[in-house]
Amino acid sequence: MNVLDVLDRNLVKVPLMHTDKRGVITELVESVAKAKGYSTQQFEQILDAVLDRESLGSTGIGNGIAIPHAKTDVVSHVTMVVGISRFPVDFDSPDNQKSRIFFLVLAPQKEASAHVELLASIARSCTSQVFRRMLEQARDSEEVVRLFME
Amino acid sequence: MGVPFKQIVVYLDGSESSMTAIMYGIKLAKEHDATLTAVYVVNTRALSELVKAGIFVAIERDEYQRDLQQDADRYLRHASRLAIQKEVEIETVKLEGTVHVVVKELLKSRKADLLVLGGITDIRSRREELASETDRMMRTSPCPVLVVRDDDDIWLEFEA
Repeated sequence: MNVLDVLDRNLVKVPLMHTDKRGVITELVESVAKAKGYSTQQFEQILDAVLDRESLGSTGIGNGIAIPHAKTDVVSHVTMVVGISRFPVDFDSPDNQKSRIFFLVLAPQKEASAHVELLASIARSCTSQVFRRMLEQARDSEEVVRLFME
Repeated sequence: MGVPFKQIVVYLDGSESSMTAIMYGIKLAKEHDATLTAVYVVNTRALSELVKAGIFVAIERDEYQRDLQQDADRYLRHASRLAIQKEVEIETVKLEGTVHVVVKELLKSRKADLLVLGGITDIRSRREELASETDRMMRTSPCPVLVVRDDDDIWLEFEA
């Protein structure tokens, strides 16, 4: 399982509208709920799971990237939403750098292996500073997808 | 090297294509009267990478490690059931570590003469080519590698 296995143009949001941590997380969850046709209750279940995980420690990993994630059986398969913000968002990252690139990763309980592999794949994909800059400057979802496909 | 094959190892990763690979491996083992081993690797390297990258906190790593062990047990049990269904003896092996490294060690220790893999997809990006564990297994295997394709045909034939 890697980024390209789950990258979906309909689950890429450029630009994100919110400028605070909770707002960005909510916006990413809204994106998946809208794309998948989830109910308000399902949306709230996902949001609670992501915020619960966030309460254990921030998923801002530094270098302008945050990877909020959670296990939830609302999704039937591992799902990823990519969001790019025009404005740096304080995500409590260890390097104190604000984030502009966000990956929301959701996985059902039964897909732990795929979940772990996808998170590792995201981390690997974003090791290049040049790639991160290009992502930050992406104008739309098409460009984000194209960058990952290169 | 043995022809026909006598020591067949099938790599499982929980994907649908690796389930196809085990079906193919079972049929191959029956036809060749070979010893069949199914291996699943709990990818502790990926877990370590996630902790190092700050994506996982310690408590989360422990929880996912348990989940991965359960995944491994579930898929290996499924492989056993499929083998029993076709009256083929199978040994299941659960390993931990870096996937291509521990699989290579297993192949050597078993003196395997065939590694069966599923899950080879078209290379869609340069980054992916460098990171694919399956690709690494193909390149580092000490024995011949069989890549299983045509998933639907194999499932239909297996279930016939």
